[in-house]
Amino acid sequence: MTDTTATRIRPVVKKPVDWWRWAGRVFLTFLLLFTVLPMAWMILTSVKSQFAAMQYPPQWWPAEPTLNNYFKLLDPTQRIGQDFLRYFWNSFYVSLLTTILGVVVAVPAAYAFSRFRFPGRNFMFFAVLVRNMFPAVVFLMPLFLLMRWMGLVNTHGSLILTYLTFGLPLSIWLLKGFYDNIPIQLEQAARIDGATRLQAFLLIVMPLSTPGIIATSIFSFIGAWNEYVYAYTFLSRDDQMTLPVGIQRFFTEFATDWPGLMAATFLMSVPVVVMFLVLQKYFVRALTEGAVKH
Amino acid sequence: MSTITGQAAGPSAARAVQKKPNIVSRIIKHRADYLYVLPALIVMLVVIAFPIYYTIELSFFRTPPNLQMKDKIWTGLSNYSLVLNSSVFHEVTIQTIIWTLASTVFSFLLGLGAALSLHREFVGRGVLRALLLIPYVISAVAASYVWKWLYHSDFGVIGAISVALGFTDEPINFLDNRQTVLASLIVVNIWKEFSFAMVMLMAGLQTVPDQLHRAAMVDGANTWDRFWHVTFPHLKGVSMVTILLLMVANFNSFIIPFVMTGGGPADASHIWITHIYQLAFGRQQWGAASAYAVILFVVMMTLGYFYVKALTRGDETRQGA
Repeated sequence: MTDTTATRIRPVVKKPVDWWRWAGRVFLTFLLLFTVLPMAWMILTSVKSQFAAMQYPPQWWPAEPTLNNYFKLLDPTQRIGQDFLRYFWNSFYVSLLTTILGVVVAVPAAYAFSRFRFPGRNFMFFAVLVRNMFPAVVFLMPLFLLMRWMGLVNTHGSLILTYLTFGLPLSIWLLKGFYDNIPIQLEQAARIDGATRLQAFLLIVMPLSTPGIIATSIFSFIGAWNEYVYAYTFLSRDDQMTLPVGIQRFFTEFATDWPGLMAATFLMSVPVVVMFLVLQKYFVRALTEGAVKH
Repeated sequence: MSTITGQAAGPSAARAVQKKPNIVSRIIKHRADYLYVLPALIVMLVVIAFPIYYTIELSFFRTPPNLQMKDKIWTGLSNYSLVLNSSVFHEVTIQTIIWTLASTVFSFLLGLGAALSLHREFVGRGVLRALLLIPYVISAVAASYVWKWLYHSDFGVIGAISVALGFTDEPINFLDNRQTVLASLIVVNIWKEFSFAMVMLMAGLQTVPDQLHRAAMVDGANTWDRFWHVTFPHLKGVSMVTILLLMVANFNSFIIPFVMTGGGPADASHIWITHIYQLAFGRQQWGAASAYAVILFVVMMTLGYFYVKALTRGDETRQGA
């Protein structure tokens, strides 16, 4: 920034080439290609016929682009379309419930961690954080047995319960950050004016923490939408499956239909990518909150 | 955020500090506070505390393959020695270390480069950041399928490009080759997660005061000096957290190796997690898998200690412990 203003004021002074800046541009171009080309190839493949995709050397640009793969997946009259739409609905339903329940459970907990000092608070808080550290697979065996004992295997309840817990630590941590930033004097003022603690919380604190709630909701939703390991282990009934597991079952039964698979991965990514693009500000904030001091 | 915690402690903290009464009366005094945490606590207990306990218990038993856990047989530490002495375990450990370190280092470096290049305001900066973040947002399953297709041994575009550019005579079989498989998977992992490091470091860069840069420029510092003496010291905290989070995530990753190769060929792309999964759900050796998981616990707890420490730098939460 300072560079440009300097040149504008004194255009006579010829600035030497800024090699670092050029290095940055070259680097960014490289990164952009690295990021975008695989996705571009996914989309290009998804509009090819099976025949066109299985050629060597490959058709760099589809000779006869077709949307057939998408029509097939979204057509409720066909078997493939039925399955795909059901997986889609299952994913949506599980993710939405996880998100809502997550907020309901995380908000009071985060508030308590931010405002109160009760015995065991630190221990609980660290326990919550440490949950972040453990891989899904470690919990998988005992949880599978637990779910079987509770009769939840092959139900969406098992998924929602597990997704809740791996979303919770992050949600609580993020929301605590937001509550820490809301001055307690606001609540005290409300209390002096005769509000109960609950009223102060619902009417003063909740509205102010909306950005935090949005941010944590995006995280829970995307996390649940993309989850694979538990869904793969807990669900074996076809009509219960969520998308990440569903598309796998579906395309390895017979010889892999790569264009169809690419179309399915594309459709599967659309909701989360759109959500991310629309709510990007909150997403990035949620990602960095806690690691960077404000 | 942590700066406000002390002030936010509010009346209940003041009450608690007055004098240190015994723990029971403090708990009773604060009983209303626990109501707020109770739902979270119950969920956590059921889904976290129980599994941890059960994994530890199972690690001392030999279990029948049909999951009839009442028929399990006490075997002491033999599961542990079984795991620790197997040659596959040593191979997989080395692969896990390569996978974790390589993924972390390269993701961090790419993210750092991107963050520094994107720090300057220019047209299209926001769009560029959003594009680079897309791989981080989409599911790892989707990423795995896309890359599996890119790496395809007959019709893969990467193989075709390397032939077209004259690097090789015929398409390389990336995923079916013990030499190339791990590196190929690491590339996918980096593709997926470097933008996480980018976002973290971009946020970190915003905390570097502009005046310091200008002052350094007045003093005649060149770009490298400014980076090394002004920017970098400010990024230390964020970098620590980012690297730790990346390491944890990579150590725990499962989907990319599992979906793309299933650990093969001949265990060459197994990491601890996929190996545990295979032992438990593939070979039904629940006891051995549990022992393996307990070993992993210990490693994770060590990393977790540093994670919590890095995360709560300066936070007063430690004070009351």
